[in-house]
Formats: sequence, C-alpha cells, structure tokens
Amino acid sequence: MNCELFKQNVILLVYEELADDMLFEMRQHAGRCAACHQELESAQQFRSDVSAIPMVEPAPNLLAASRLRLQEALETAEQHHGWRAWVFDPVDWLRQLRFSPALAAVILIVGFAGGVLTAFRVSHPATIDPGTIDSPAEASIAGIRGITQDPSTNTIQISYDKLQQASTRGSIDNPDIEKLLLYAAHAQQNPGVRVESVSILSRKCHDTQIRETMMRALLDDRNPGVRLQALDGLEEYVKEDIQVRNAVIQALLNDSNPGVRTEAIRLLQPVKADSMVRSAFERLARQDNNEYIRSESERTLNSLPPID
Amino acid sequence: MSVVQNVVGATGSTADTSPFRGNMVSQALRRVDDNVLIREAQRGNRAAFEELVRQYDHAVLRLALRLTASEQDAQDIYQEAFLKAYRNLVSFRFECSFYTWIYRIVTNLCLDHLRKKNVRKEDAPVTTMQDGTELSLLDQVADDRAHSNPERDLMRRELGHKIGIALNRLTARERMVFELKHYQGLKLRTIGEMLNTTEETAKNTLFRATQKLRGALAEMRE
Ligand SMILES: [Zn+2]
Repeated sequence: MNCELFKQNVILLVYEELADDMLFEMRQHAGRCAACHQELESAQQFRSDVSAIPMVEPAPNLLAASRLRLQEALETAEQHHGWRAWVFDPVDWLRQLRFSPALAAVILIVGFAGGVLTAFRVSHPATIDPGTIDSPAEASIAGIRGITQDPSTNTIQISYDKLQQASTRGSIDNPDIEKLLLYAAHAQQNPGVRVESVSILSRKCHDTQIRETMMRALLDDRNPGVRLQALDGLEEYVKEDIQVRNAVIQALLNDSNPGVRTEAIRLLQPVKADSMVRSAFERLARQDNNEYIRSESERTLNSLPPID
Repeated sequence: MSVVQNVVGATGSTADTSPFRGNMVSQALRRVDDNVLIREAQRGNRAAFEELVRQYDHAVLRLALRLTASEQDAQDIYQEAFLKAYRNLVSFRFECSFYTWIYRIVTNLCLDHLRKKNVRKEDAPVTTMQDGTELSLLDQVADDRAHSNPERDLMRRELGHKIGIALNRLTARERMVFELKHYQGLKLRTIGEMLNTTEETAKNTLFRATQKLRGALAEMRE
C-alpha cells in the first residue's frame, strides 16, 4: 500500500465498497501515515457533509397523482388490443382479483360455510343503451369506466362495472372452489374468512400454488390466527422444500406474535442442523427481546453437535 | 452452495440488487413474488403490473424528483418509465431483478433529462411544485430541523446550498452515479448494471464525481 493507491481508494473505503483484504491494508496504512490518516478523515467528513441534504421524500399526493395518471394511460395502452368480449371465466377472473387490491375492495365475501362460498363478483364492462336496458340499481354499480356520446343520434353510451352476487358449491377438489379459496386466503376484509380458507387449503399443501399461498399468508397476513393456520399447513414441507423452510425462518425472526414464533421454533426442530436455521437460532439466542424465545433458541443450539 | 443461493438461483439470477434492507431470505422471497407478478403481467394482467408498480414506484419517483428537482418533470419520468416497462415487459428475461430493470429505464430517462437541462447550473437546487411555486431543497433542510440549534441550522443550510451548486456542476453521468451511491445507497456493481457499464467504470465515475465535489466544497469553504 502506498499513498497514491490509498488516495485512489479512500472514497471506496468511505462508501464501504472495499474487499476485506484491501480494507485491512488501508487501515494499516492510515495507522502509520499521518497524511493518509488526514485524507481518510477528510473523505469521511465529505460523506457526512453531503448528507446535509436529506433525501426528499415525494409528497404522498404526488405519488397518488402519478399512480392515477399511469393507471389511466395503462388503460389506453391496453385498448390497442381492444376489450375482449366479456365472458365469465372464473379462472381469469380470479387471476385478475388475486393481484388487484383495488378490485378486491369492491368484492365483499359475505358468507362462508361448509364448502359453500357466497361472493359478489364484478362484471365488466356492461353497456347501457338508454331506453333499451332497465336502469341499474345505484348500489350495484362498482364504477363507471367511460362515457361516450354520438352527436348524430344523441345516444349516450356508458360502460360501467357492476356488483353481482354469486355462489358456488362443491368439494375441495373442485377447481372453482379451490380458486375461490385461494382468493379468500388473500381477501383483506374478514380475518374469519381467511382463517377458514387457509385452514381448508392447508390440507392440500402438496400443490405448489397452494403452498405458495400459505407462505404468503404466513409472511404477510396481519392476523396471527391466519399465520398459525398457514404454519400448520406448511409443517410437513419444512424438510423437503427450502422455500418453506426459509419462510418459517422468516416468521421465526420477524413475526410480531410470540405464539407464531414459538410454533416456528417447533417446526424447525427437524432441520435445526441446517446452517441457515442454526444461524437464525444463534441470532435469537444472542439478542432477542423475548426471554422465552431466547432460552428456547439456546436450548435448541445446545442440543446440536458442535461445529468442527 | 448456500441455502439462499439455492432459492435465488431457482428464480433465475443471483444478482443481489433489491433496494430493501433486510436479510437475504426476504430478498429471495421478494424475488420469487416479483417473478410471479411479472409472469402474470407478461400475460397481459394489468392488475399484476400495477402491483409491481406499487412496489417500486416510490423509489422511482424519489430518484426522479431528486435528479430533476421538479415535481412535474419527476412525474413525467415516472409515467414514461412505467409505460415503457409495460410495453416492453415481454422482453424482460429474468436475467436481472425487476428493480434493476426498471431503474435502468428510469436512469436512462433521467440522464437524457439532465443532459438537456444545462440551464440553472449556478442555481441552488430548487423543486418546482405543481402549482408553480418553488420549494428550495434548502428550505426542506431547515424545516426538518426546525427544533434544533438555529446556528447549526444556518451552517447546514449554507452547506446544503453549496452542495447543491456543486452537484449541479457534475456531468449527467457523474451526478447519476453519485446519486445512486450516496443517496440511494446502491452497490457499485448494481449501479454498473443499471447504467449498462462495468463496475470498474462506475468506480472511476464515482471517483471523478467525488473529486470534483470535494474540490468544489473546499473552494467554497475558503
Ligand atoms: Zn500514506
């Protein structure tokens, strides 16, 4: 290490971009060389000076306005292909719903018992031709998509989405029931519905899509009851499916509910020798706020053979 | 091969470029989630695309706002970037993360913008609000620290002003690399990937940018 090389790399040191060996050499050099020590301090001062301008966060309404404008543009971007004639296709419909919290907001799942699911569905776009169609009840209109006027005939065309109640009945192996259950597992409103659907689906975790839904529920659902149900379904896949294992580790490390975490500890016992699991327990044994979790982690670690 | 690499490898890439803090596991899971959404969006599912947008658009808008210092321009870049992404999504091949991909589009648009806009070089960075009023970044510095020591505030303000001027004197590329490194905290490897260049080139650009900035600040301190 010489002074020239030090000077060239000092910014990388300050911005934590150096490999360990280089870092070590530079620190050694700065310890011996007063000029480079000074250079290091000046570079560190520079980084802190520049931080005097804080990150400007975009105003929430700027973000909201940008999203709205984009959504509008996306709608016309899609119009190049034209609206496909709307036919009720539950698979496609569910696929749309699964990813659309905005749409999901108008879908209210109102009842759920014994394999029967009652739901409102959104159908779109419907077209009113004044005089030819009965007037739609206001309460069933989910939103107006567009209004066009034909000046020559004075006809107004309004495209709108409307809510319709529908229900489906069938066994758990019925694909439509499965799709609805998958949707219900993501539904925002009613935690009771989510617990119920996750609990039914947890019997079918051999299906990878369902397993994925369980992982999402475990990591994202706000209700600890739902998360516990998800853990229950995932239990027998902790050994064979590495993604499941990682999701359970995640829950163990970050879940806000001690019950969920305790359950995660239990699930991970058969794979406690796995290096990732072991390091999770090490971290918890060292620094977790919850005394029980700390001591359980410690106990798990002590039951492991030492690393040689 | 580690467990994490297994997970990431299964989804097509090992580049670690997520903007989100947190451990590797959650990054890997996020990647899996993103890939599901991308595949859906590639099949024409707009809701899936909008979900992707919601995950990244805050960071995109923030970057555009910092680089353009104008709400209007930032919004235009936001709009253009995501529309471009939507139209070209079929060409996304899962070789990098979606984050890197969308940032590549955004940084290109911002570079164009910075190159065109060579005016106001001597001005302090000013954010133009949509109603036409101008909000200086420095006012924001002061606002943030309204309750602390006034004398220190004044110094910070002055320093912020100088930094704003110095930043405006950088070339578009230097500004971009510095922005991504200092303010967005990205790794040089990722920055290189985003700017379609090597890590080595990104390193050199960062070096030049910081040399200029340090020089400018020292000069102003005298
Ligand atoms: Zn030296």
